[in-house]
Amino acid sequence: MSRKLTVVLLAMLVLIGAMSLKTVVVAHSDGSVIMANGGAPAPPTPWKNGGAPAPPTPWKNGGAPAPPTPWK
Amino acid sequence: MPGPFEYFIWLSCTFLEIAVVVCALKKGTIRKYFLLNLYMATSVIVTAARFRVLTSHGFTSSEYIYLYYYSDALLTIFLYLALSSLYTHVFSELKAERYVRFGTLLLLAGTALFSYGVVHESTTKLISRFVVELSQNLYFVGLVLTYVLWAAILKLRETRTQLIQIVLSLGVYFSLFAADYALRNLYPSVSSLFISLLQVFGCFLPLAWAYTFWRIPEDARIVPSRLAVVPR
Repeated sequence: MSRKLTVVLLAMLVLIGAMSLKTVVVAHSDGSVIMANGGAPAPPTPWKNGGAPAPPTPWKNGGAPAPPTPWK
Repeated sequence: MPGPFEYFIWLSCTFLEIAVVVCALKKGTIRKYFLLNLYMATSVIVTAARFRVLTSHGFTSSEYIYLYYYSDALLTIFLYLALSSLYTHVFSELKAERYVRFGTLLLLAGTALFSYGVVHESTTKLISRFVVELSQNLYFVGLVLTYVLWAAILKLRETRTQLIQIVLSLGVYFSLFAADYALRNLYPSVSSLFISLLQVFGCFLPLAWAYTFWRIPEDARIVPSRLAVVPR
């Protein structure tokens, strides 16, 4: 039983380590993804259909400058 | 649309993948490293499918895009399973196969759950986002697992040259992609150079494994003192 718990603990540690590493590596990411299988040329991601410019986020209504946050 | 250079690299990479399976067959190690060879064989089949769709539908067609990313996730899962088989080889003397299998499935399930947690609020293309996210996360899990395996090899003073070479080349392969990705994002002005390098890096793993199966005998041992010495 303790061996199984050790495996669970190790698996969780590896997962945490991997996701931390990913966070560090993609910190300045432009949204592109890592593809590491074979030599095929990588196309754009499936949700980048067409070349249309991305619209502003829904909470940026109008062109008014954003005020400071309420708690400052 | 890819140019002649991209096609040349792609073709070379595919030949090297075929060479891995052929070398393993010829040297009689295909059963021992079955999952590694299965990964390479699947990669060849996927390459054929990708080439067919690319030439018939085009580089930016949704058919090629979906095939590319969904097959990439499949290949990443196969590579992850191949990596877990290397764990089984390294820990074979400890009779830990059952625990390696349990850990492999647990980590795969954990990564899938984590990936779903990241994308579950997306309103569009949820499955595609999940597939790409899973592929990405599994890639980083594989990277960490390879380094952990290398530490275990040093700790257990593993001497099988073939196994050491396979694990080391896998570590270099994962690291090359991670370094390329980080540099691409750090220096966006030269990102096209790093993107074109990705295809070249893709040839490294089949080249290293083909060399290992062809040139290094199964019973070859490396002198332990030539590895970094880690006290038990």
